[in-house]
Order: sequence, then structure tokens, then C-alpha cells
Amino acid sequence: MENRNSENLRELFEKFFDAEQAENCVEDIQKAEQIFREHPAPEPDDMLIANIKAEIAMRLQASRAHRFRRIIYEVLGAAAVILFVATVSLQLFEKDPPTGEVVYASLIPTAIWESDDIAADDEDLAVFTAQIEQIEDEVMALQSGEDTGNGDSTIVELEMELIEINGDFWKG
Amino acid sequence: MAKSNDLARIITGCKGGDAKCFSEIVDMYASRCYGYFYRLTGNNDISDELLSELFVKLVEKIGSYMGGSFESWLFKVASNIFHDHLRNKQRRKKLLEVQITEFESGTIEPKQSEGELTDKLQIQLGRMDEDTRELIMLRFYSQLSFKEIAQKRSEPIGTTLAKTHRALKKLREFMEG
Repeated sequence: MENRNSENLRELFEKFFDAEQAENCVEDIQKAEQIFREHPAPEPDDMLIANIKAEIAMRLQASRAHRFRRIIYEVLGAAAVILFVATVSLQLFEKDPPTGEVVYASLIPTAIWESDDIAADDEDLAVFTAQIEQIEDEVMALQSGEDTGNGDSTIVELEMELIEINGDFWKG
Repeated sequence: MAKSNDLARIITGCKGGDAKCFSEIVDMYASRCYGYFYRLTGNNDISDELLSELFVKLVEKIGSYMGGSFESWLFKVASNIFHDHLRNKQRRKKLLEVQITEFESGTIEPKQSEGELTDKLQIQLGRMDEDTRELIMLRFYSQLSFKEIAQKRSEPIGTTLAKTHRALKKLREFMEG
């Protein structure tokens, strides 16, 4: 216990005391320390040292087991987070619309769209068609000179009816 | 230099949880730390307890050692342990005040605790207050420089020098008287 970190006591004391006082202080300290060297404290028992070492080893083992458990929990936690993020990300990607392909839905049923029989597909159209056909027959009869009994007024009436039907048809 | 490199290696091992390195630390410092505790308490059993506590604490706290003087750090921990012991002792003393008063007022002469106060130095140290006693112990057992002791005690180095000088001079007088 001689080395005091290469401390120069005299130099240190001279910062606070004059040279003579510093000399006395250093001497006092050295003499007092000599007393300690002459009266050494008892040494710790070998059994005590062995017990301390055993206790340290036990604590280190417990701490290692604890650290291992903590690592396992941390890894499991991290894995759970990664799994969750991956699941959420996949769901988000799946919800994105496919790019470059646009799908249109038709309001008209396919059966009607593909059918050529317009009259059968639309009741109003069928009625109008029947009326037009009837009027056409009547006009043909008039033109061919067949008398329907109404004379000129019949032609005018038919023409009016035709105009009305025509107007209704385009109004929808 | 080789010694400090060796110590650095041992401390690194301790930080890595190497029991062998802790054993080396125990071998290196047990004697001085025991002397420190013994001279402060004057009792072998308490010194045993405190020494065990110190090294067990070392296992927990070695991670917080961030370089610098290891001895300074170690004796700081030792000093904290001693102060905790003093606080506990005070608490116990208060709790058992009645019994102690009865014991002291009895006819039985208070014995020297289990033959501990055997050497003259220990008896004379017992005449000094706790703070002065600890200052002397730090100076002698911890191998700390005055600068480090002053830092540990959070006081100017001049104050530490003056207090230590006064205390050691007084101790010398006690011993010679």
C-alpha cells in the first residue's frame, strides 16, 4: 500500500500551506500511516472468501438463466410483431385494385342484350309495334279505296293517332 | 501498465459474466476491503457481512462501471454499503431503544464486543467520529489519491487535505498518549 497513484504529497500541501507547514503535514501523514502498517487489520477468513466466490458463481448462473429467458421472450415478441405486420401488409396489398384492367358492369341483363326479338323484350315496344301495324293496315285499306265508313275524317284521325304514337314512342 | 491492462481484462471478463474474473477481483481486493470495513466497524462478523455484500453488489453493478479508477469506484460502492449499514443500525437502535437502555443501566459491565477491540489502533479509532474515521480509512485502505477522495466526498481538495491531516495527527496523539 505504498503507491498513492504517484501522488506528490509535498507539492499538493504546498498549494494550500507554506513550505514549512506542508513539510509538517506530510510528516504527520506519513507517521500516521506508519501506525496503520504496524497495526494491520485482520485478514478475511479463507472460508469467507470461498463462500463469497460460491455466492458470486450462483448469482451469475441465475443471472444467465434470467438473461436467456429474457432473450427468448424478446425474440418471441419480435416474431409476433413481424407476423402481425406481415399479415396486415398482405391484407392491405390484396385490397389494392389491379392496375390496367377495368371491369364494367352492364345495367342491361345479358339475355335482353343478346336477344334480337326486341318486341318480346319490351312490353311497351310490343304495344306500339302492334298499334303501328294496325294503323298501317288501316292506311293501306284507305289508300286502296276500301271504305271504312268515316270518310275524310278517318284519314285525319289516323294521321293524328300516328303523330301521337310517334311522339309517345320518342318520349319513352 | 501491465497491471492496469490485466485489471482492464479482468473487468471486461466480469462485465461478460465470467465467474473466474470475479474470483480474481475478490482475490485482489478482499483483504483491503475487509481492512476498510473492519477498521470502520471494529467487528469481524459485521465486516464479513459487509464484504460479502460488497462483492455480491459488484456482480449487479459492474455494468455501471464506465472506466476511470476502478479502486475509486469499488471503494465508493464499499462506502455506500457501510453507510447503508450505519442507517440500518440506527433504525434498529431506535426500535430497540428500551431494551438497550435497560441493558446499559444494568449491573453488567458492557463487554468489548466478542473480543473485537483487541488492538490499540482499533480502540483509538473508536474514539473518533464516523466521518473522520471513514476519511482515514479511505486514505489508507482504498489507495485513493486526495483528489479522488475529495471527489468522492464532494468537497474541495483543500478541505480533504486539512481534515485528513488533522485526523491523522489526532490519531497519532491518541496512539502515543
